[in-house]
Amino acid sequence: MKTALSKIWKVISKQKAVLAILALLLLMLMPQTRAMFYSSSNWMEMLRSAAILEIVAFGVTVAVICGGCDLSVGGTLCLGGIVTVLLINAGWPIWLATLVALACGALVGFVNGFLVVHQKTEPFIITLGMGMLLKGVCQQLTNAHPLTSTVPAFMKISNGKLFGSIPLLVVYMIVLFVLFFCLLRFTSFGRNCYAIGGNYEVAKYSGIKVVPIKWTAFIISGVTATLAGVLLSSRMNTGNSVYGDTTGMMVNCGVVIGGTSFAGGQGGMLESFLGIFVIQLLSNCMNTMKVDGFWQKLVEGLLIVAIIGADCYSRKRKRERV
Amino acid sequence: MKTKSSAAATFLKQNLVLCGIVVLIMVTAILQPKFLGAANLTNVMRQLWPLPFIALGMTFVIIGGFIDLSVVGMISLVAVVTVSLIDPLGQVGAILVGILLGALLGYITGTVLTTCGAMTQAEVLFITYGMSSVYMAIGLIFTNAETLRIARCTKPITIFNALGSGTVGIIPVVLIVFVVLLVIMHLFHTKTLAGRAISLMGGNKDAAYLCGFNVKRSMRMVYTISGVMSALGAISLVSRVTTATASCGTGYETNAILCVVVGGTTLKGGKGSVLRTMLGVVLITLLGNCMNMLGLSTYMQTVMRGAVLVVAIWLDNRKEL
Repeated sequence: MKTALSKIWKVISKQKAVLAILALLLLMLMPQTRAMFYSSSNWMEMLRSAAILEIVAFGVTVAVICGGCDLSVGGTLCLGGIVTVLLINAGWPIWLATLVALACGALVGFVNGFLVVHQKTEPFIITLGMGMLLKGVCQQLTNAHPLTSTVPAFMKISNGKLFGSIPLLVVYMIVLFVLFFCLLRFTSFGRNCYAIGGNYEVAKYSGIKVVPIKWTAFIISGVTATLAGVLLSSRMNTGNSVYGDTTGMMVNCGVVIGGTSFAGGQGGMLESFLGIFVIQLLSNCMNTMKVDGFWQKLVEGLLIVAIIGADCYSRKRKRERV
Repeated sequence: MKTKSSAAATFLKQNLVLCGIVVLIMVTAILQPKFLGAANLTNVMRQLWPLPFIALGMTFVIIGGFIDLSVVGMISLVAVVTVSLIDPLGQVGAILVGILLGALLGYITGTVLTTCGAMTQAEVLFITYGMSSVYMAIGLIFTNAETLRIARCTKPITIFNALGSGTVGIIPVVLIVFVVLLVIMHLFHTKTLAGRAISLMGGNKDAAYLCGFNVKRSMRMVYTISGVMSALGAISLVSRVTTATASCGTGYETNAILCVVVGGTTLKGGKGSVLRTMLGVVLITLLGNCMNMLGLSTYMQTVMRGAVLVVAIWLDNRKEL
């Protein structure tokens, strides 16, 4: 009986996200919500609103697999959008403005990487402080007002539809997903990331260049977050310093929900995708069921505590068994 | 002579951020003579609250080797509950219930953490963040996101008025309350077994466990202390601004961490003292005041705070390399 229970626990702790998705889908079979929830337009909208978080999560996953963590993505996302809109309004071509924004993201990632990897500080607090700093920069740049872009072409980047039905944001998300999936699965960089996250010292003595690779992971995280910021600003046609306030925490939690552990060396793109999707699905379900916004916040908080708590608990069990 | 200069160099190296802020304050004092005027300093003494209380609680959590982001939720929830209880329970009852509620919330956070077996700062950070949004959501549901005003209460609110703007001579009442609390907490930390156990836990959890200390109990204790301090902070905040909303605690967690780190308590745990944190609080508040005096925007102050936090942690880390 005990072994059966522990086996079930093992499966659950590995596939939390899939189980959560199944549970929510079953819940939504209720007659009141069935028709509204299981419609193609609802699902397309859900994917579209998940796209931004998903894209941020792809980059963060690389950093988390290396045994790091990036809480500054909220600020980076915000900065990316604002820089792009500012430059476009100043008359720069869109591609150049986007490139400059991406360079800013890379710079943020570079600084994070320097402090965390080269100087060996705790990533959590450092990136939290960095997020605060970036938020201040964003407010200073926009004077804390929403900044609307004056170039109509910018809006088309995220708001168009492919073949008249699939939103472009979803297309970007899928392309990036495939790209990152291949990066982690089929390149030596990706495999080295797993090795570094699994055991830093062993990876170092195996001849893997640990510092440059982990550093690159942080730069990737910064660049992806900026890209997501540019896409978000294009979707809203606005750069705003309130974007990304909760993104950092949400994305990192979503990544863990999927099964990528903060201990590093575990997880992957598919897991992260599902993890973020759980958050989006949950909020969509609650919206369909017309749950009050404050209760949604409560459920979100409980979800974070439950999932990260379960992650800790399974690691504690592992420690005690050894 | 040589040993003296090298001792000075070591001190400078150990407290680089602290010295930097002191220099900045001196520069401001020279550029803006009003800075050290009585009017400004009284103003600073009023602006200070509720940060010292929260930083005091946070110090214990950080000395214990953890971190507490749930103070945001605790401050918000305690503030709205306290204000809404003034009418049914009277002001003394409301304050007592508020402090008890803070202790309870802190205890819940601590219990959740020990049950999950969260041992690293990463796990603690995320779980306390989750708890914070839970507490804040409860506050929002409780108040329906309305702003509660003390002035609308029908019962007397003399304690709140005293804490908010009352003075004995030129010293604010809240400062006296705080200093008493500070002395008690300092003695608790340095002279009692439970207090030393917190430091030991922060230094090395395994060693503390093997020495026969109840690490889980110490962990619950630091979070309970943080909860009580947040509750006191919430009460002083409510007294000063005379309103309470379910999001009034936002931003205090990073500021409190900032004060603790600038004071010289290391985030790795085990080292530090409450008195150092108070130095940090005073310096950070003066820093904000300096930047106001020099005419920097509030947004630049956020940038400055973030930068100081990052640099302080970085330099603190370099000491051990």
